[in-house]
Parts: sequence; C-alpha cells; structure tokens
Amino acid sequence: MPDTYPINIWINEERYEQLRKAGLADLAKDVLAGMKVLQVPCDAVQRDELLKRYPSAKFDSATTKSIELLPPDTKNQLFELVVEHSRVEIVSAFLKA
Amino acid sequence: MTQIGHGGKTISERVITDVAQVKKRIGGLLQLPISGRAARESIDIAYGFFSPLKGFMGKADVESVCENMTTQDGTLWPIPIVLDVESSVVKDAGLKSGQSIVLTFQHVPLAIMDISEIYSLDKMQLQQSVFGTTDAKHPGVIMYNKLNDTFLAGEITLINSPVFQPPYGQFWYTPLTMREKMAEKGWKRSVAHQTRNVPHSGHEWLMKGAWFSTHGEMPVEKLESGIVVSAIIGPKRAGDYIDEAILIGQQTLQDAGYFRPATHLVSFVMWDMRYAGPREAILHAIIRENLGCTHHMFGRDHAGVGTYYGPYDAHRIFDGLPENSLRIKPVRVLEWWYCPVCGEVTYSGLCGHDDKKQPFSGTLIRSIIQDKVKPTRLIFRPEVFDSLMRCADEYGFGSPFCNETYLEKRQPVFTLSTLD
Repeated sequence: MPDTYPINIWINEERYEQLRKAGLADLAKDVLAGMKVLQVPCDAVQRDELLKRYPSAKFDSATTKSIELLPPDTKNQLFELVVEHSRVEIVSAFLKA
Repeated sequence: MTQIGHGGKTISERVITDVAQVKKRIGGLLQLPISGRAARESIDIAYGFFSPLKGFMGKADVESVCENMTTQDGTLWPIPIVLDVESSVVKDAGLKSGQSIVLTFQHVPLAIMDISEIYSLDKMQLQQSVFGTTDAKHPGVIMYNKLNDTFLAGEITLINSPVFQPPYGQFWYTPLTMREKMAEKGWKRSVAHQTRNVPHSGHEWLMKGAWFSTHGEMPVEKLESGIVVSAIIGPKRAGDYIDEAILIGQQTLQDAGYFRPATHLVSFVMWDMRYAGPREAILHAIIRENLGCTHHMFGRDHAGVGTYYGPYDAHRIFDGLPENSLRIKPVRVLEWWYCPVCGEVTYSGLCGHDDKKQPFSGTLIRSIIQDKVKPTRLIFRPEVFDSLMRCADEYGFGSPFCNETYLEKRQPVFTLSTLD
C-alpha cells in the first residue's frame, strides 16, 4: 500500500459512527482520549499533486510525517470519499474528481 | 491600604490622569517615538507590574542583574528592563542626563521619562547572562541583537492610560486592581497560571492540580483560594493562537461551569517573551507577586524554547534563591496525560501506565483544530472549541491561529487618547 505520505483525518465520535456503519471502524487508530486518526495513504506522485493544488499544504517530515494544512473542506471531502467507497485508498478518486 | 510588592516595597502607580496637568508637564519637552515593546514595558512599569522598578534600568543595575540576578540594592531581578534608542537620535536631539522627554507611541504621547543616564552595553555579554547562550537562533538572542546600541535609563510616568479594546478590557487588571479583585473574592491565596494557549483538558488539569496544591491545608468549607489565569499578551508569530481566542477560551471554562467564578479569574499581562527559561520564570514570578498572587504554577519547559534549557530548569532555579527574596511560592508540576486504562486525564506522577499514556501533544491538537473537527470532550471542552471557532470568525479572519492577515490587520490591544 503506497502509504509513505499519509493524510491524517481526525475522527471524533460523530465521524467514528459513520466509519462504523461503513465497516471501517477498525481502521481508525486511537491517539488521544477517544480521538482517533484515519490515515489515508498517498504516494509521492499524489502528494506532489496535492501540494500543487493546495499551496498552503505541506508535508511535515519532521514531526507528523504526514501531509498537513490541507483545507478543512478538502479533508471533509476525503473523509466522505472514504465512507462512500468503504476504503481508504481514495486519493486517486479525489484527484480525478 | 498599603500594598507591598516585590522586594518588600510599596506598589505605587506612576500615572497622571489629569489631562490639563499632563499638557502642562509635557509642554516644550522633546518627543521620542518608542517601539511596541518599550510602550508595553513603560505601561508595565507605571502600573507596578515591575515594582520596585520605577523606570528603565541604568548600566550598573543591568550589569548587576546579569552577574548577580539582583539589582544594585540586592533585590532579586533576573532580566534587564532596558530602553534602547538609536545613537543618532541621541546625538541629533542632544539628549542628556537630567533631561525629561516624552515617550510617544503611535504618534501619541505615552509617558514622561526623566533621563538619568545614557549608556551602551555589551550585548553579547547580556545574551550570555540572560539566555545562557549567544546562539543567533535563540529567539531572545534575536530580540537582543535587534536592540539599538544606546540605552536610556530613567523613571517613567505614564501620562496616557491605555484604553483596552474588547475583549481585552474585561481581562485587564493592574497590580492594584487585581489585589482589589482578590480581596473582593475573599482570596487568601491565589495561584498564577501563565498561558499563551487556548486551554485543552491538560491545561485545565494543570490549573486544578495547582489549585489543590495552593489550597493545601486551608479549610474546605470556604473557597478562599483561587486561580489567576495570567495570559501573556505580546508579539505574535504565525501559527500562534490569536490573543482574543486565548482570553475568551480561558473565560469560557468558567462561563461553562468548569471553574467556579469564586475560584477562577482570567487576566493578562503585556510582556514580550524572551524565552529565557529559568531566568524568565523568576521574572514571571515577580510580576505575579506584584499582582498579589501567593503561588505560581510552573510546568515543564516554562518559558523555554528548543533544547536550550532542561525541561525542569525553571523549577530548579528557585532552589538556589536566597530566603525571602520572593514572596510568592512556586508550585511545580509534571505533565497531565490521558490514560486509557485509568479512563481519565491523570497526573503523570500518579498514573503507572506509562506504556499506555496518551500525552497532550500541541502539534496533534493544533492539527485537529486546524481541520475544524470538534475534538472529543476529554481533549477539549466543546464550549471552548465553539468559542475558538467564533473567535476565528470574529477576530482571526477565519482562522484561530495567527496568519499573515491577522498579523497585519488585527485590532490593536489598546488605543491611546490624543490628549485633546
């Protein structure tokens, strides 16, 4: 799985319920006090395309090792795609949309 | 009633509020524009935040502070309070010792300064003493490197009281008004919680833990001790929480009932952080001592930056201070973390599930907030998150964090009268 440059999607109680219904609850990893994270994998080409589309975003190689500062609406769209497709490999579909 | 501040000296405000008197005093005086930092420190001096200082320090005091951590008279003081000016200004204006001048800020008279000395300093020595380093990457060193080469010493009298804009005004307490407020609340003890953050649950428990320590052996039937949230308001950097959200977020904890008004008060201090670690911890203690606090909470990495100081250096420095040099007690705390086994936010000194701990990571919480996803209530009180989002819209140009737009267009913390 090309997961070298993940996008972290934060999962609160509301989103967790949506994941559970989609049968994806196991993919969310507990990080802090019930807050979970869902890592959407991204390969280098997809990463570069995302950073090109969203100049404010960056790949944080120092601390989180993930693509950060994507607009909240974009993160919402990515989450909705995960639920819709019942899988986390959705960046390709997102970029084509 | 006499109010005793740091060094055992009476806190006296150095403020003239009568405009006619001000106009008479400043007529014919040379006007000298000063920086935002100098303006904030002039206000701090005038209201007694830096008591017993009456003005900006002279060379002998600065050297004594650097070498001995005391002013010349032996009063504990860790960081020089200085006013720098361009050498050419001193020369062109013919400034000299014994002269009174008007310090102006944003083109308006702010304070009268009675110059007692004009001097220069070895800035490298200053940096080494205060920060323990001259590394050009240290933010305090960067600040000191930007100082001009000439310094003015002299007493300050404020002639233009700042008018704090909403929401700052409701949180502004001077040492004398803070003491009045504490007396009104019936507090015999109060613990200062310094912050530059919108509070998450880890911060909330830091405050609660500090309150337990402070309340100590006092009777439980009466709530005669309180928490003074003392936010630092000063220069901002991109990515910091916006000031308005910090103050309103802290107040929201009280408004939503997580703290009783009887035991909680939100306030702020204007101060440009030096990130001087242990030395700055002492200065913070002095400021809160002047505000009337009996205790000051110090957590991990207080006033630190990078790896210049050990995580608990700001705790240990208090061990070496002469007895009675401070009239405020440090409350030293480790971190609070969430433990899934305990099922609660708990104190790292008590919880033994080290391998299961979930620390409150600022980076992680910042990322969650950046995405505008409401965190679980064990991380962030929902009311605080909602207030943060409201502040983002009302004050932050859509962001709860400082960005270029905020830094350029933010409303001023205070305004000054034109004295007309």
